[in-house]
Amino acid sequence: MRNQYKTYPLIITNIESQNALVKVFTLMPEDRKNIKCATDEKKIIKCWVPGQFISISIPGFGEAPFAICSSPNPCNEFQICVQKKGGLTSKFFSMSVGDEIDFRGPYGNGFPISKLSKRNLLLIAGGLGLAPLRPLIQIIANHAAEFGKVQLFGGSREEKMMLFKNEYGAWRKNIELNLTLDIPNENWNGSTGLVTALFDKIPISKNAIAIICGPPVMFPAVIKKIKKKGMAEKNIYLLLERRMHCGVGICQHCVLVNGKYVCKDGPVFNYAELKDSPGAI
Amino acid sequence: MTNSDLKLFVEFLLNKNYTIHSPVRKNGKIVIREITDSRKFSLIKERPLYSFKNFLLPDKKTLFSTTSDENKNGNDQKLIRKQVLFGITVFDLRAVSLLSQIFEKDPYFQDIISMTLFIGQSPIPEENSFYEKYEENILEHFKFDIFIESRGDQKDFRIFTGSKHGQKMLNEFGYDDFEHIEYAGAVPEEGLSDFHKKLKEKTKLSYGSKIWKDLGKKCLGCDKCTIVCPTCFCFKIYDENNIFNDSIARVRQWDSCFNSEFSEIAGGTKFLKTMEDRIYNWYSHKFVRIPDEYNLPGCVGCGRCADVCPAGINIKDEIFKIMKFKAKKPIAKMSKFKSKTLKKPRTKKLIYEKPI
Repeated sequence: MRNQYKTYPLIITNIESQNALVKVFTLMPEDRKNIKCATDEKKIIKCWVPGQFISISIPGFGEAPFAICSSPNPCNEFQICVQKKGGLTSKFFSMSVGDEIDFRGPYGNGFPISKLSKRNLLLIAGGLGLAPLRPLIQIIANHAAEFGKVQLFGGSREEKMMLFKNEYGAWRKNIELNLTLDIPNENWNGSTGLVTALFDKIPISKNAIAIICGPPVMFPAVIKKIKKKGMAEKNIYLLLERRMHCGVGICQHCVLVNGKYVCKDGPVFNYAELKDSPGAI
Repeated sequence: MTNSDLKLFVEFLLNKNYTIHSPVRKNGKIVIREITDSRKFSLIKERPLYSFKNFLLPDKKTLFSTTSDENKNGNDQKLIRKQVLFGITVFDLRAVSLLSQIFEKDPYFQDIISMTLFIGQSPIPEENSFYEKYEENILEHFKFDIFIESRGDQKDFRIFTGSKHGQKMLNEFGYDDFEHIEYAGAVPEEGLSDFHKKLKEKTKLSYGSKIWKDLGKKCLGCDKCTIVCPTCFCFKIYDENNIFNDSIARVRQWDSCFNSEFSEIAGGTKFLKTMEDRIYNWYSHKFVRIPDEYNLPGCVGCGRCADVCPAGINIKDEIFKIMKFKAKKPIAKMSKFKSKTLKKPRTKKLIYEKPI
């Protein structure tokens, strides 16, 4: 019987420091023949959908889910964005290129890509919430004709906490980037304040689909704001974060009041799906 | 089969190298112990305080380990011993049916199940137990090998078999006065009973009501109920370092949704914040989520949680309150639903209304 908890080895091929607390790790499954794309049933890692997550483990330090933060093209390696928070992530920070870790997955539904084509998009990211949106942003940057007008509203605490700074130039070609800092430094000439403050200054495109990703406290404030700006509830998607142990909808840690599992039915939910689920956001 | 025949049968199973677990009376309590001496065996007709859950879903199970080849790639069949769960009651058999569905794709659970012989029995109802009465027709939905019907003071038990393996065992033992019941799947044809359909809707409807506010105040969050519950299966997975033999093991251990860190994420945010959230989550898992996912009730009605609750919460009384719940502003759709589907005649006798 196939063991759903079995992990597969990965090699760290690159480490890029974003700031003192955040690093981006590029990971490559050790067994290259197992990462064939397309319709090969035997592959271990399927090409992922932006918004999906992967379970990473370091023997002795445990397992945790991480959002994949690179686009599935190319498919033979992927990136995750790690913030130093607990035991596992601290161990992660001590590792170097060439070291081996383990993974299983990918899991979850990912963003509803087919519903996004030709539509205006409103991507809203708070802090580390930019990481799961990055694969989508990369796809948009490479296939701009497939989408309508794309706006990105991103908030960070300080300038040094901003992620993927060196990529903003490339993103700007096809995406309207609106960034804000909670605590601006003297060189900052962009907006200041929380991400919600941006909506008072910058108009959002009509008939857009909003995708929100950020810390739990951000959701209610942002939703209230964009609803006021005329955003229909059915066009709002959220990426939720929960504690997860199994990744396959059994262990019960990530369940919502409406009975949906964030690992299996999510992590991306339409706002309408969550309305009957108090405490989900 | 008489009690002395059962003793001989126990001897027969011991000779076949089975490890036998069965309820025994110890210091006035019914506990499950390994039976090593058939002469001392007698069938206890009461349900033990703890269920047989940990013989199928161990409280702590190594998934992988770096110590040796044994567990590198998961389960090792050689390490699992043949076992008999002797005298497992219908409550626990019902729980086994449910767990088998939930852990359908779990190799660790399935390997253990495949090495287990289930010998069931009908128990004498306890003060706190509820649910449908034991009737012969419910046996077809349980996975068992042999079933001993022991009603009241009956001395000569009726014997049923539920699997080829059970038949083979009895034939080898030299007993042929049994009837066979063909397994008809865990879920009855009619699906959930009307009672459980109604309980599901009422549990959903009552979210945030006084029932849960009161329970939130009463519950201590001690997690005793989740330990004795035969259907509670929440778990956590973590790594354990053993400094004595320099090994690492990935283990799966029972968890309880009453633990405050159950829903905690990196950074400290919790999603089941209050006791009210947690106890509603527990009840809704039993009466809403499991029925939705598996078409089976998530509670077998054994009443063990009421026996152990230090705060005196009795699930039978709470179910009674939930069933009586009326929303202040009933939703139009809901009342339509009620009249259409919930007024069917009841097919099975339920003893919720008339506690025994």
